[in-house]
Amino acid sequence: MNFLMTTGRTVRQGSYVERKNTAPYRDEASCIRMNPVDMFDLLVEEGDAVRVTGAGGSVVMRVRQDPMLPRGLVFVCLGPYANALASPWTHGTGMPDFKTVPVSIEPTTEQPLPVSALMRECGGMPYED
Amino acid sequence: MRIEDVVCPFCGCLCDDLVVSVEGTKVLSVENGCTLATEKFTGDHRLAHPIRRTGGAWEKTTYDDAIRETAEILLDAERPLLYGWSGTFVEAQTLGVHMAELLGAVIDNTSTVCHGPSILAIQEVGHPGCTLGQVKNRADVIVYWGANPIEAHPRHMSRYTTFTDGFFVKSAFRDRKVIVVDIRETDSSEIADEFVKVTPGGDYAVLTALRMIVRGKGDLVPATVSGVTREQLFRVAEICLSARFGAIFFGLGLTMSRGKSKNIRNAIELTEELNRHTKFTISPMRGHWNVYGSNEVFTWITGYPYAVDFSRGIAFYNPGETTSVDLLRRKECDACLVVASDPGAHFPRACAEHLASIPTVQIDPHMNATTHLSRIQIPVAVTGIDAEGTAYRMDGVPIRTRKLFSTGYPDDVSVLGRIYSLVKEAKG
Amino acid sequence: MTQGILIKNAYVIDPLSGIRGEIMDIAIRDGRIVEDALPGSEVIDAGGCLTLPGGIDSHSHVCGTKVNFGRYMSPEDMRAGRTSRKGVMHVTSGYSVPTTFGNSYRYSTMGYTTVLEGAMAPLEARHTHEEFTATPHQDMLANTLFDGNWSVMEAVREKDVKRAAAIVAWTLAAVKGFAIKLTNPGGTEAWGWGKDVSHIHDPVPYFEVTPAEIISTMIQANEILRLPHSVHLHCNNLGVPGNFRTTLETMDLAPPAGDDRQTLYLTHVQFHSYGGTTWRDISSKSEEIARSLNSKPQVVIDMGQIMFGRTTTMTADGPMEFKLYMLHHNKWSNHDVELETGSGIIPVYYSRKSLVNCVMWAIGLELALLAKNPWQCLLSTDNPNGAPFVKYPEIIALLMSRRMRENERKEIDPRTEHYVPLFALDRELDWYDIAVMTRAGQAKAMGITRIGKGHLSPGAQADVAIYPLKPDNLDPSVDYQQVMAGFSRTLYTIKRGRVVARDGDVVVEGANSTIWTRSRVPPEYDMGSDPEFTRKFDQYYTVRLRNYPVQDVYLPRGICIETEAAL
Repeated sequence: MNFLMTTGRTVRQGSYVERKNTAPYRDEASCIRMNPVDMFDLLVEEGDAVRVTGAGGSVVMRVRQDPMLPRGLVFVCLGPYANALASPWTHGTGMPDFKTVPVSIEPTTEQPLPVSALMRECGGMPYED
Repeated sequence: MRIEDVVCPFCGCLCDDLVVSVEGTKVLSVENGCTLATEKFTGDHRLAHPIRRTGGAWEKTTYDDAIRETAEILLDAERPLLYGWSGTFVEAQTLGVHMAELLGAVIDNTSTVCHGPSILAIQEVGHPGCTLGQVKNRADVIVYWGANPIEAHPRHMSRYTTFTDGFFVKSAFRDRKVIVVDIRETDSSEIADEFVKVTPGGDYAVLTALRMIVRGKGDLVPATVSGVTREQLFRVAEICLSARFGAIFFGLGLTMSRGKSKNIRNAIELTEELNRHTKFTISPMRGHWNVYGSNEVFTWITGYPYAVDFSRGIAFYNPGETTSVDLLRRKECDACLVVASDPGAHFPRACAEHLASIPTVQIDPHMNATTHLSRIQIPVAVTGIDAEGTAYRMDGVPIRTRKLFSTGYPDDVSVLGRIYSLVKEAKG
Repeated sequence: MTQGILIKNAYVIDPLSGIRGEIMDIAIRDGRIVEDALPGSEVIDAGGCLTLPGGIDSHSHVCGTKVNFGRYMSPEDMRAGRTSRKGVMHVTSGYSVPTTFGNSYRYSTMGYTTVLEGAMAPLEARHTHEEFTATPHQDMLANTLFDGNWSVMEAVREKDVKRAAAIVAWTLAAVKGFAIKLTNPGGTEAWGWGKDVSHIHDPVPYFEVTPAEIISTMIQANEILRLPHSVHLHCNNLGVPGNFRTTLETMDLAPPAGDDRQTLYLTHVQFHSYGGTTWRDISSKSEEIARSLNSKPQVVIDMGQIMFGRTTTMTADGPMEFKLYMLHHNKWSNHDVELETGSGIIPVYYSRKSLVNCVMWAIGLELALLAKNPWQCLLSTDNPNGAPFVKYPEIIALLMSRRMRENERKEIDPRTEHYVPLFALDRELDWYDIAVMTRAGQAKAMGITRIGKGHLSPGAQADVAIYPLKPDNLDPSVDYQQVMAGFSRTLYTIKRGRVVARDGDVVVEGANSTIWTRSRVPPEYDMGSDPEFTRKFDQYYTVRLRNYPVQDVYLPRGICIETEAAL
């Protein structure tokens, strides 16, 4: 199903900026907030995993309900999971379309990857402390 | 030991009224700060020593080796990018610019994916703004447009706007009106007197409609504009026109959605028009505690606030061409030095992929997403905790961050200074 | 110990030492002028060329918040003046608002070694000081803004001059400022509500003090503190047709002169010398202004000359800049500073086809030609408001040559001569007048001869400019092109005894000083312990008292002028 994704800051995400390789950061940054009626249509419940695909790629996230969101709009906090979906095209402005990303969402049985694994997918090499 | 009037190095609020309790080289507690401040000061997750990657493994390395290797990487590169800068202090940013000039590199800061579009708009129509204390002391109308301060700038409302009294505003509760404009309900919109819900990408039209009403052409406004009713548009315009002092704060909702810099241009022009009727100001909600500092430093040295390319031997500025996301997307740079920011987490994946494929060096106290993409990381002291230097608040007011104690970590100036010396020596 | 320099065969004009054009040698050692040269000194043969003390600009906007605003909002201006790295010189950008290194190199090329920054808001002083350090070839000073200062206005309302003086003393020392600057006093606070003041007796909203009261109190406070410079004032009603009356009334506020300098310095007076009632009938009132000036030795002015072409206006006068915005419909920036002052920035273009602009152009020159005493009318363009400072040589040539002014008459709006007296003025300034108006006069007015600025007698700072001009072989009234070229580029600029510029290139890294003032007050006048004063930081400022002052680290080579307040 297709939705429009927007991104933004959350206090929880901000609290973990110095601990991006931890589970709580992964949970917050890979959390996708959806309107409960949209979740119903998609046949997912709170905590379920979904595969989200956008112009920049595809990534697994977990759903959380957010009744304040209008239908058709989903929210992911800024971070590497949201950026797995964003296109690098900036229309000559230098700024990618971080807040109006068309995405398609399907339920999945996969798990969200840790940040280090996401970076490995980009060609990096995870550093474990 | 209790230290007062401590400056918080997190968001653009740059609160300087924190009280921290310190023992040795640990901060035990923080008073007056928000959650972000508490985490920042009491957190203890630093990278212990420089690391480097060889082939398939990470290993410990020394500062000397890491610094030398970094200089070599930069000198070998044909088109190096020096990116980040928002999380370090002015003296370090200054070194970065001088080094970029010597290398013929591109130097860019996090504005490029944050308020860069705001800067583009300001370069078209100017910026009628003020310091935060003007708002605190005078504003009876506050507008947050495309911003969610409760999540991104938690003390903004209590220090500068909605919840604080001021000299001419004896009772904030009674005397201030808050308008929030957003595409979704947020904690910030919950406390607004007037919430304007706009369809995504529709801000430009709403701003235009408001300008029409302010200019007396309201009869041409249709029944709804981007999901906002005519009645609400007129109500909002009336609130603004009858304000004694109105302050608009805008965030990434305008810079990152369709229209980008044109959205902000429209908002600035609305502010300029409102000034013909009453007093109005507009200010960007800068995200990082010293991103504005990097704009200021880049500007007074090179003439341009971000995305500065020295490869032609002059300072050259062309957002869209010399901006980091575009350079990385085009796979144009062949080395990258990241200082005090995390492009691995905050750039589109295609850019992260390119960073992984070229020699990337990061100077940062903490492990983050970029760590996994880098060849070398050099940990440094945290500005505001074990290093000090100038920071520029979101409104341009410069405050010197405090050094609470010394640790074994060198600060950004000492590491960058040594890299710069090696580069200077090699360049002759 | 630095090596000595011996300048031989210099054609010296040193007004403060009474030297009006003599061929002589100048010996320099350890950064100072000395009687006799050190053996082994580097010898510079000036070959009979004009040698003056280093240039001093007493009013120029080059460093700080609003200047940087002007830069980053104008990438087109940045592109219009770019230079590459060369030797020790960094890349520079900017035409009317150059980058700090750009300003420094261009001033140095013109022989300038000291600059008084036109406006610094105390709350943002750190920014000004950081840019001072990045303007490394000129010693810098900061005019510190008090025009909308709440604590000051309250003291004025209470008619408490001593308290006002104590507030100034505390603030100047805290932010390492040099002098009291008032820009549209009262008007910048009114602009906090989108209003302005319309004459010097128009009360400021809420505070209920008038500009005249603010000015008079601050003049008295200035003298109590024995500050080196006098109050430095940008009058109310800048740019308004008919504003000459405001200027004359303001000049009447100046008490009799002190022993060594004026009691009131009015800046960029061209912008304040307009007759008429609207733009349609604007005229020159330079004669009235000059007449008042000539009868008041206690007043010194600078010209505020405009030159045709593009530039950027930037001042603390927020309401004035807004009016300009409404006139030009170009981009407009504004920045009000809490409890203190304001600012505005607009790019402009002064056109030869605009009668108004031609009248403005004439007025600046008239003021200099009608002022009998060159010590009372100093050269300036209110850089960059009237024109970029690189135009000073052209202004000098115009003042020295009636013929050049006549040639200009042919280029400008032909109606101009009916609105201005300029073309009836025969006077041509001479080399001595120019030396006074570009350095000696500034040093005297600013009170910095006491630290060795502005003259070349033994003991003075060795700031010297050698220009490729031979006064004995040159008739400036005819060879004005040469005059212009000569003042544009020194053969040598020497600062603190080091050659810093040669033939247009800066050749060393700079190590400038910031000069500031501390007036010592008795403990009972220390505002740092005054509950009413400190309360403002707890309640109304958004920066804590402890974090407000500029730390010593920002002035690596600061020079503090200490005075004893008469409190």
